[in-house]
Amino acid sequence: MTLDSTLTQLAYLLIFPGFLFLALYGMYLQWLDRKLCAIMQNRVGPPWFQALADFIKLLAKEVIVPDAAESRLFRLLPFFAMAAVMTALVSIPVGRSALFGFQGDMVVVIYLLTIPTVTFFLAGWSSTSPYSTVGAMRVLTQLFAYEVPMMLSLIGPAILAGSWKITGISIFFAANPILIPTQLLGFATALVALQGKLERIPFDIPHAKNEIVGGQFTEYSGRLLAFFYLAIDMELVVGAALLSAVFLGGSLGLTRWAAIPVFLAKTLAITFLLALLKVLMARIRIEQMINFCWKYLAPLAMAQVLLDVFLKYRLG
Amino acid sequence: MSDFENEEKIKASIEAKFQGAVSNALVQRRNRVWLDCATEKLPELLGWMKTEGFVYLATITGFDEGENLGACYHMTNARVIVTVRVKTPRANPSIPSVLKIFPGAVSYERELEDMFGIKIAGLPAGRRYPLPEDFPTDQYPLRKDWKFVPPAEETEAK
Amino acid sequence: MSKITIPLGPQHPALKEPENFMLVLEGEQITGATVNLGYNHRGMEKAAEERTYMQDLYLIERVCGICSHSHTTCYITNVEELAKAETPKRALAIRTLFGELERVHSHLLWLGVAGYEMGFETLFMYTWRDREQVLDCLEMLSGNRVHYSINTLGGVRRDITAEQKAGVLKRIKYLEERTKYYISLATEETTLLARTQNVGKLPYDVAIERGAVGPTARASGIARDVRKDDPYLIYGELDFKLITHNTCDVFGRLVVRALELMESYKMIEQILNNLPEGPIAVKVPWRIPAGEAVNHYEAPRGEDIHYLKANNTDKPERLKVRAPTLANLQSVAYMMEGGWLADVPLVIAAIDPCMSCTDRAVVWNPKKGKKEIYGWEELRKMGIEHYKRRGVDFTKL
Repeated sequence: MTLDSTLTQLAYLLIFPGFLFLALYGMYLQWLDRKLCAIMQNRVGPPWFQALADFIKLLAKEVIVPDAAESRLFRLLPFFAMAAVMTALVSIPVGRSALFGFQGDMVVVIYLLTIPTVTFFLAGWSSTSPYSTVGAMRVLTQLFAYEVPMMLSLIGPAILAGSWKITGISIFFAANPILIPTQLLGFATALVALQGKLERIPFDIPHAKNEIVGGQFTEYSGRLLAFFYLAIDMELVVGAALLSAVFLGGSLGLTRWAAIPVFLAKTLAITFLLALLKVLMARIRIEQMINFCWKYLAPLAMAQVLLDVFLKYRLG
Repeated sequence: MSDFENEEKIKASIEAKFQGAVSNALVQRRNRVWLDCATEKLPELLGWMKTEGFVYLATITGFDEGENLGACYHMTNARVIVTVRVKTPRANPSIPSVLKIFPGAVSYERELEDMFGIKIAGLPAGRRYPLPEDFPTDQYPLRKDWKFVPPAEETEAK
Repeated sequence: MSKITIPLGPQHPALKEPENFMLVLEGEQITGATVNLGYNHRGMEKAAEERTYMQDLYLIERVCGICSHSHTTCYITNVEELAKAETPKRALAIRTLFGELERVHSHLLWLGVAGYEMGFETLFMYTWRDREQVLDCLEMLSGNRVHYSINTLGGVRRDITAEQKAGVLKRIKYLEERTKYYISLATEETTLLARTQNVGKLPYDVAIERGAVGPTARASGIARDVRKDDPYLIYGELDFKLITHNTCDVFGRLVVRALELMESYKMIEQILNNLPEGPIAVKVPWRIPAGEAVNHYEAPRGEDIHYLKANNTDKPERLKVRAPTLANLQSVAYMMEGGWLADVPLVIAAIDPCMSCTDRAVVWNPKKGKKEIYGWEELRKMGIEHYKRRGVDFTKL
């Protein structure tokens, strides 16, 4: 491998579409989400640099590790969460194709996106305070509620496209845009499940501040908390990118530089939809969330899968 | 006084039922009846009044009259307020608890104990209210002879 | 499953004021709850005995930030009753007007808080924005947004001009429209219904047993409202409905408060359109003849009850204040037990607790490790100097 290609690879990983882009775009989406909510709620909202300012400020704050916590695990968890999210992006097309796509990468991405949730659980559990313990239990309970509809709704397009490669799916829909509207149901269920994965209203149950203060993050502070927040912001980007690639035909088969505006437009639209969900609803209880996910969301996602099987059969 | 027929009726029925225990009954104005009651008869009186429609014990006001301490039990059926006064000697103040009849009265009774030092016979042990746990137990702030004296030593913020 | 004990308070995001609930959890469900109070005791009843009736008026106003008018009106009714003062009709009407404006502002505040406690931040933002309208009304009429100080011994401090009347009526019209929207929202929004229905059940007989008052009692089907039962001020002449609801849950409390808002708008219009002519205050002697009086008042949160004993001097012998929250707190532990942890903030909020009203004390202020006790004169001097430094001199007024 030449030095030149190594540098290019490094640039891919660290600058675009890797770490730097992901972090900055994540913060931008966080700001956008807050601003959109503010406008919809009749408020002014934060200035554009708020997310970055929060991050820098948290970096400067003291890190306090509870005596009862497993110190090393406690300190490592935020980085695990961030690493998992960043790894997931490698297989998701940001431009025309993913950095490293392969058959079956969708399963890997789903798996990698579960890791942050598990780290949230461990973070809460290892903090040992009553609030974070309850928060941790809620994280895990919630994981079992939204993960199944999420997975089911992602399977549909894969069956239709006949590919388990995310880039492959997005190329298939780019080539057959007429089929995109048939995925509406799956897209809707995936969107709601993503809201649950990102722990936003109405599914912000694990860190519902009125009930259990900071939930799983109660004992986190300083840069550890900053990296957790950054991981969540990144997860928003990755989730939005995944949904746009799987359901909306990604960048519609455009070449590299023309593809980026399409990518941005679609992720921004998804963020808008997520913000809308957040503004429209009250937080529900954990048992209501599980009921809702299993009774309504999972069957709906299943219906989409059946529809896709049927379409696949008709199209040959 | 035909103006306050209803109030007079309440007064008369209480006086008839608790002859000897009740004194100084007075219809002050529309919807206000006042009376004194012998301390030991208090639970019985309130229990009877509860069956007569006075289902709320609005609050208990403690007072300090010098040689006597006492309490006003403000009973109401939402319309008429009947205030039942009981007195107890300052040397050994004690009033029977009415918790069996009005379980909601627990914080009012604790307040009497904390603020006036009136022993409530039958009040179960529990957290103090409204004074903090570390407040001296021999000081009763709402008694007339109590004056606030700042503690001698400074408290350091820990 | 093992049990976890969770402390809710004294410092907690769900609580606006210090109080403490110890919750025993089994998973997400509550198996036991205890309520601890007293973090906010300010010794007001003792302080009132050392001040004149006029000073007490301003002390009593500070019992609570939201129902400041309720407490002063209840107190002043007692004083005027003992002094045998004939308060002018116009003053009574203005007091009633403030009472209802206060109810509007308190209920709108509650709607927002309930929205916040159930994680419905949009509702919180919307109602608090609309609440500004009624605060504007109060500021226009009295000069203050929260502590209006409109009451004075023997009447009210300020009269209402035709201009102010028009301004209030205009804002009330707007609020009426908004409240209709909130009522439709509260009865239709799915997540809101899911969070409020069958939550914090308080059956009719338990509500009576525990002495619930105000909207909490009315949502359990108890038709109890001092304004109807024992009319004070000019409520006897106003046309309004007593709102009750029989679902006995948080949803019922929400509906009761929302419908009461509509009744309050109706009353405000009635009062303003039929404001009696005449003086707004009479003189009341400084010394109040010996006697006792007890009065109750339907504050936004429920029944306030004040007892006053006078002893022929210019200071009261004994003043007792019972705020509605203390009566309602007895029901909270019942409502929480067997419920979900997620519902706790909402159940607590549903009685619209006001801990400052309930506790009233703290004798000294430890200030940065040094104890400083200010007497009345010192506080007065400090206040004057504070404003002098800002270029305002009250001594010249």
